[in-house]
Amino acid sequence: MFRMGGVTDEDKLDSETTKRVLRRAVRMAKPFRRTIAAALGFVLVSTLGLLMGPIIVKFAIDNGIDDGDRDVLRNAVIVYVVVVAIAYAASRQQYIFVNRAGEGFLRALRVRTFDHIQKQSLGFFDRYQSGVLISRMTADVESMAELVQWGLLQFVAALFLIVIALILMLTLSWQLTIAALLVMPIIIIASRKFQRDSNQAYLEVRERVGQNLSELQEGIAGVRVVQAYAQEGEQTRQFVSSNRSLYRSHVHSIRVSTWYFGLVEALGVIASGLAIGIGGWLVNRGDVTIGTVIAFVLLLAQLFEPVQQLSQLYNTVQSSAAALDKLFGILDTEPDIEGGDQALPDRGALVVDDVGFTYPATTTPVLRDVSITVADGERLALVGPTGAGKSTVAKLMARLYDPTVGTISFGGVDLRDATLDSLRHRVVVVPQEGFLFGGSIADNVRIARSEATDDDLRRALDAIGALERFETFEDGIHTEVRERGSRLSAGERQLVSLARAALVDPAVLVLDEATSSLDPGTEVIVERALDRLMVGRTTVVVAHRLSTIQNADRIAVIDAGQLAELGTHDELVDLGGRYAALADAWAQSLPT
Amino acid sequence: MPDPDSSRAKAASTWPLLWETLRAQRRNLLIGTLIGLAWSVGKIASPLLIRYGIDRGIDEGEWLWLWVALIAIAGMVAGFFTALRRFFAFREARWTEARLRERLFSHIMSLHIGYHDRAQTGQLMSRSSSDLNQIQMFVVMIPITLSNLAMVTAVTVILLVTDWVLALLALASLPLIQVAGRRFSRSIHPAVLAVQAEQAELATVVEESVGGVRVIKGFGAEAVQAEKLRTEADDIRRESIEAARIRAKFLPAMELLPQVGLIAVLWFGGNQVIDGDMTLGTLVLFNVFVALLVFPLRMIGMTLAFAQRAAVALGRVNEVLDISSQVQDPERPESLPTVEGSDPNRGLGAVSFREVSFAYPADVRPAEPDNDAGPVLDGFDLVLRPGESVAIVGATGSGKSTVARLLVRFYDADSGSISIDGVDVRSLTLHDLRRAVGIVFEDTLLFHDTVRANIAFADPDADQERVERAARLAGAHDFVMGLPDAYDTMLGERGFSLSGGQRQRIAIARAILADPRILVLDDATSAVDPSKEHEIRSAMSTVMDGRTTIVIAHRPGTIALADTVVLLDGGRVVARGPHADLLVDEPRYRDVLAAMDADADAEADEAGGRTDLGSPVGGD
Ligand SMILES: Nc1ncnc2c1ncn2[C@@H]1O[C@H](COP(=O)(O)OP(=O)(O)OP(=O)(O)O)[C@@H](O)[C@H]1O
Ligand SMILES: Nc1ncnc2c1ncn2[C@@H]1O[C@H](COP(=O)(O)OP(=O)(O)OP(=O)(O)O)[C@@H](O)[C@H]1O
Ligand SMILES: [Mg+2]
Ligand SMILES: [Mg+2]
Repeated sequence: MFRMGGVTDEDKLDSETTKRVLRRAVRMAKPFRRTIAAALGFVLVSTLGLLMGPIIVKFAIDNGIDDGDRDVLRNAVIVYVVVVAIAYAASRQQYIFVNRAGEGFLRALRVRTFDHIQKQSLGFFDRYQSGVLISRMTADVESMAELVQWGLLQFVAALFLIVIALILMLTLSWQLTIAALLVMPIIIIASRKFQRDSNQAYLEVRERVGQNLSELQEGIAGVRVVQAYAQEGEQTRQFVSSNRSLYRSHVHSIRVSTWYFGLVEALGVIASGLAIGIGGWLVNRGDVTIGTVIAFVLLLAQLFEPVQQLSQLYNTVQSSAAALDKLFGILDTEPDIEGGDQALPDRGALVVDDVGFTYPATTTPVLRDVSITVADGERLALVGPTGAGKSTVAKLMARLYDPTVGTISFGGVDLRDATLDSLRHRVVVVPQEGFLFGGSIADNVRIARSEATDDDLRRALDAIGALERFETFEDGIHTEVRERGSRLSAGERQLVSLARAALVDPAVLVLDEATSSLDPGTEVIVERALDRLMVGRTTVVVAHRLSTIQNADRIAVIDAGQLAELGTHDELVDLGGRYAALADAWAQSLPT
Repeated sequence: MPDPDSSRAKAASTWPLLWETLRAQRRNLLIGTLIGLAWSVGKIASPLLIRYGIDRGIDEGEWLWLWVALIAIAGMVAGFFTALRRFFAFREARWTEARLRERLFSHIMSLHIGYHDRAQTGQLMSRSSSDLNQIQMFVVMIPITLSNLAMVTAVTVILLVTDWVLALLALASLPLIQVAGRRFSRSIHPAVLAVQAEQAELATVVEESVGGVRVIKGFGAEAVQAEKLRTEADDIRRESIEAARIRAKFLPAMELLPQVGLIAVLWFGGNQVIDGDMTLGTLVLFNVFVALLVFPLRMIGMTLAFAQRAAVALGRVNEVLDISSQVQDPERPESLPTVEGSDPNRGLGAVSFREVSFAYPADVRPAEPDNDAGPVLDGFDLVLRPGESVAIVGATGSGKSTVARLLVRFYDADSGSISIDGVDVRSLTLHDLRRAVGIVFEDTLLFHDTVRANIAFADPDADQERVERAARLAGAHDFVMGLPDAYDTMLGERGFSLSGGQRQRIAIARAILADPRILVLDDATSAVDPSKEHEIRSAMSTVMDGRTTIVIAHRPGTIALADTVVLLDGGRVVARGPHADLLVDEPRYRDVLAAMDADADAEADEAGGRTDLGSPVGGD
């Protein structure tokens, strides 16, 4: 199975990359720095509060209990109570502030990634499976939510705990600190290995998650075909195999990380043992008090708990880093179609000049040396056999792709130099692959012009003769069409798509087989309507039906990626070439 | 969108699902828990040993290094079992997740089309990803929490035995954690539900924007989608912050309550040591133990939070699993008659629709109970002899595709009967029925897979020869050979790396390969150009020869493939006959085909046939 961006060597998320990713995340979090600073403040206070415990206990033991001084003991207890109260208050605030910053960050990330995805050309969407894109925007972002909701908080708290505990330990006794930290080198070496292995494993997991979602999405999208061919079993088998490989990569990631937690735990206890052994020896020599040893043992518990927690969290951080890395991968894909800075004129000729085109990620050109000038106000028909490249020309005209060679210009401005905004207003294409969104008929038409009122929508639907039809639906034009318009018949879906075209007022309208599912009776009505609407405007139609084509001012015959013939119906029939043969085929296919 | 109330009602029924899933894994979960117990022994032993180390080793100067060695051993035991417990817990959780996901997928694939008409892909996907993940996170906690509980119990017992007064003081605050935990879970539940609902909505926006990218770009509607996404992202943020507020209210309290115990220990224990009633080592032991409880207790708090989320998630997963397909196999299925011989379909494939009426189920809206859009089919009669081919012609929305959908039981007719070779379609297993009928859908959907896999969809084991034959008959072989890897070329999602006509031909090849006794071509050549149509027509005659075929078409060239034509109008067949006759006799037929003959047009206008043009069928 073809895998979109499988885990390759260059993908390896080594600690370098992790660092880079995190640094970039920190940069992205800039707008929230005040909130983050406040959050860190609160984390610091509450962590300090937690750590004060053993210190207070040490003080109480050494100065109160050992000396039999009940007043000192009482004061220590009072201080302890106050500290806990402060820690409680700070801890509450830290939750709120960390979340505010975190959710703000995630929102920004969602919006930014989505905007970026939308800026991409169609080539990008050819490359990425939609399931993968969806998993970037959902599963990957959500895996960060886990980090944001509690992980980050604990991560920072744990770091603070460790640093402060170390400082406290050093102030208590440097000899004991050294004794306790004898195990440190092992931990460092183990951490290195752990990071390396689990990084790799996490990337793999993220990849498989995307894969799995794609599989799922395709299954759902194709459920009608699957059921019609009774292939539920086979589809499920395929899904299970993708799902099992996801499971295996999960297990792998557990295997490469689990030993580490055991090791840290064991070393924590061993460190306490060492502290007691060496502490005992130091007590005997009179270098430290027994209270110090006790405080030390308590502090060590505080130290190793967070170390372990930290490695636990490192998991979360790492899976988030892997997710972020994937997201950055998308954010780093420069849109290969970017707007220029020239506004297109209101009207003008659409000139296709010596255009050649190869679809991204393929090698054979699908268009070669195509030159067509569509005059302002002209109606041009594109005809030709299946796969000749008609739709490709249509897509190039609206700059859904850029030509590989040659240029396309409108009113003398190369489309590449035009602002995307003016381009989308001047040139509108109704693609062959129509698409209805979940929502009402009205919502779907409104896609073309977001500020249109209901009356505008009604007028547009009426113009193509579809209003009456939709008014009889249960909620009229506010009837839900459901996902991909499954509530409507194929022809009704096309009517909705066409109404979009009737709603906007472009200089150039490109219709790619926009009426292919309509019955000829309805089609005639629609075409007459579009004729009226497009009076004096430029129209390019791709069609297979003679009636549509005959109405055109000129006809361009595309064959095998080249412009084979160009002229009026009569001219081309007289020419006796391909078009004449085509017209002949039409005549024959009408066995009246 | 599932409304929160119904989900809450469902929550009660979610646990059996989890229970059932976990039961299958009970052995490994048990092992995990036992390992967890071993872990708690190691974990508890170390503070005890530390106490001896301090009291005996340091204070009394006896066997200091022996105690140190014992502590180290206890540490290693705890460490070893920590690793093992983690491994088991996580592996089992992932296994639960994986199996639930498979179950969900296979269930979704088997649900009736009426369900899929309304379901949103984004929502279903978020069930399978975010929701299952929440469940997984909870399952991880099961063995961990169980052993944590064991440890908490053991520590409690030890403390009670050592000094019960002090123990009671130390642990008095702990039940409060339990109370707070319960209240916490009650208030966090709806908040988490809301977050997850918003996440699923966002997924839907993304799914649509990616799927509809050609339209969005064609009309420059990026801003509209961006706005939708912003709204959803804002909603998620708002709900998440609300959830955080609730967490802030409870979790710090739950975390800090053990400190109260520590203070009590210090105060009373300290006084006792001063009075000489207790050793310093015991005081330290109490301290260490209570501190030891902090983390497991915090984990129990977390488990509560996870359990809440998991309950919500399970509820949502269950909502899907609870729906049973409305189109099901009969209890006692009959089988289709067969014939001996080289061509198993020869002489078979009679189809009859008798008095069939059908209306698509209306959306449930309690406010206005009866505003059904009228029936799509209303007394529809159509009989096809074995091997006969019929073209169904009708205006857009007249119900042609609906006829095809009823034949394969995507929906069941409201009244009347549909049978194949004399057997009612409801008496057949869905598998048999659907193998007998091959449909080429009007909206061609191909899969992101190789050309070969797409053509051999009905029979993945088909050899190259059969695939190629089907492709040739569908007029696809030539262009397939021109693709970079011929039959092994990977198609883009939905087959979008092919042109419209190419996609349709692959879809036709797919149906041909299935070799059904009844073939349905639903507007299957709309994107095939007329010059090719000619070729396909001759190839199709080979396919249709002796095979019952229903052709739904608008173009005369395609209609001509069939022996007879029926005109569908007002939900029933209003005329039947050869194309040429209908063209002459039937003004409505001329309207639908917009017969370009000027005379016919004029006649039609006189006959008043224009008036019902374009009027939807559902209206009457
Ligand atoms: N996204 C894509 N990636 C790669 N190749 C593509 C893509 N879209 C189309 N092609 C190929 O480019 C060629 C031209 O396709 P195009 O869609 O322009 O044909 P067409 O003339 O519109 O045909 P039809 O009448 O069937 O719609 C075809 O061979 C097709 O396989
Ligand atoms: N899933 C559905 N739920 C509710 N109504 C539906 C559904 N599918 C179709 N309809 C309605 O039923 C009617 C018949 O639809 P059908 O798809 O059978 O038409 P058709 O004759 O195939 O039209 P076309 O030529 O446009 O494909 C239409 O008015 C349509 O709006
Ligand atoms: Mg095309
Ligand atoms: Mg249809």
